[in-house]
Amino acid sequence: MKKYKDIVGDGGSNIIDQVVEQMARLKVRMAKVKTKVAVMSGKGGVGKSAITANLAAAFAMRGSVVGILDADLNGPTIAMMIGVRGKRLRISEEGVHPALGPLGIKVMSMDLFLPRDETPVIWDAPAQQDSFVWRATLEVSVLREFLSDVAWGELDLLLIDLPPGADRVSNMAGLLPAIDGSILVTIPSEVSQLVVKKSIAVAKETLKAPPLGLVENMAAYLCPRCGAEGELFHPGDSEGTATSLGIPFLGRVPFDPRISISSDQGVPFQMRHGDSPVGRAILQIADATATSLGMKPSDLGRIET
Amino acid sequence: MKFLCVPCDKPMKLLEVKAPDQGALTIVFHCSECAHRIALLTNPLETQLVKALDVKIGTGSSAPTEPLRFTRSSLARQREETFLTGEPGEAVEAAKEEGSCPFTALVGEAEGGEHVWTEAAEQRLQRIPIFARPWAKKAIEDFATENGYRTITETVIDEAREKIGM
Repeated sequence: MKKYKDIVGDGGSNIIDQVVEQMARLKVRMAKVKTKVAVMSGKGGVGKSAITANLAAAFAMRGSVVGILDADLNGPTIAMMIGVRGKRLRISEEGVHPALGPLGIKVMSMDLFLPRDETPVIWDAPAQQDSFVWRATLEVSVLREFLSDVAWGELDLLLIDLPPGADRVSNMAGLLPAIDGSILVTIPSEVSQLVVKKSIAVAKETLKAPPLGLVENMAAYLCPRCGAEGELFHPGDSEGTATSLGIPFLGRVPFDPRISISSDQGVPFQMRHGDSPVGRAILQIADATATSLGMKPSDLGRIET
Repeated sequence: MKFLCVPCDKPMKLLEVKAPDQGALTIVFHCSECAHRIALLTNPLETQLVKALDVKIGTGSSAPTEPLRFTRSSLARQREETFLTGEPGEAVEAAKEEGSCPFTALVGEAEGGEHVWTEAAEQRLQRIPIFARPWAKKAIEDFATENGYRTITETVIDEAREKIGM
């Protein structure tokens, strides 16, 4: 009697071919994106999305064409931080055009699909009580569409803001095997560093490209009036963590209350206060990232001029 | 998943996908040698799991007819004015009608996809215990169909309750 491997095809639906077709469409779309970088953390609440938004602004201010995919489907914040919340999306033969933010930053986020602030993402299903069985699969299908059906155009850099959790990078690696690197964000606390270590390990094992490095966010409190620095957390050793795991340490970003004000107002902090200590720290991380990625002068606009 | 006709030792071929009933699908396979037929019956959870993959059963192609079709058809609650083209909600409705997989369109047909629920009626529906909600929804929609209502309002629900004894 024949076994599974003896039978070619699945009887008519060609599921494997359909998946291959999907991935081929994604590959064609992503061919115009020069560099793809995932921004991730282990623990939530470390300011990953704020780092993503401001890194995007830093690159865009250098003249790069930048896009952000907000891969946090259940807690999307990028649209608000970039100031595109409530914008309507244009559809053309090329696909759905991403929302256009300041500095030409292109954004695709689940937030653009939700009717009200309090509306959670609820998937259409006969019953929700067993959603743990299919939710992750469905979310990957949505992310695939966000990558393949969105008219990103030619981008120098696509930043992918992943939700917290070490497993998320595996999903993204399945969709985008050719991802160029990952930036990991932590805060000085040992709790955060404990979790980010797991994400670093997953990133190293899952992604073809090695992690670009670790960013320590909220490294200190920076008084906007007098400029004095104070500790926000019991200082951990983020640089030591990076060194011990064999990845570069990209830099420390102090906390400045104006970051949250700018985020709430939809204007990246980097645009308003790029010359502040925090702004300079973000720019330094952007430069280190560009160097690690080997981005060409043409990808970086004014960075080399 | 593959099916083998044991007496003929031949792989079976997909013959048809029948419209789902309350989320359960019927997928019929046959043997080209002896013409024997079997049916794969899925429960709603299995149907939903395959739907989550955004693949089609029986068509052999997943080429989207419009961008973000799967996302639009999968979101239970979404902003009507997300897109600039067409009338508000048009794209969403088109995606819903077209379906995201072999199942969505058929499920929509079988589960009352032609009905429009007002927000208040939808909220009333959400107050029904989750295990009874699919049954209640279908009963209300059947009542609406029989009585020529396309839009389901709270009044229609009240009428249905009185008639059906819900």
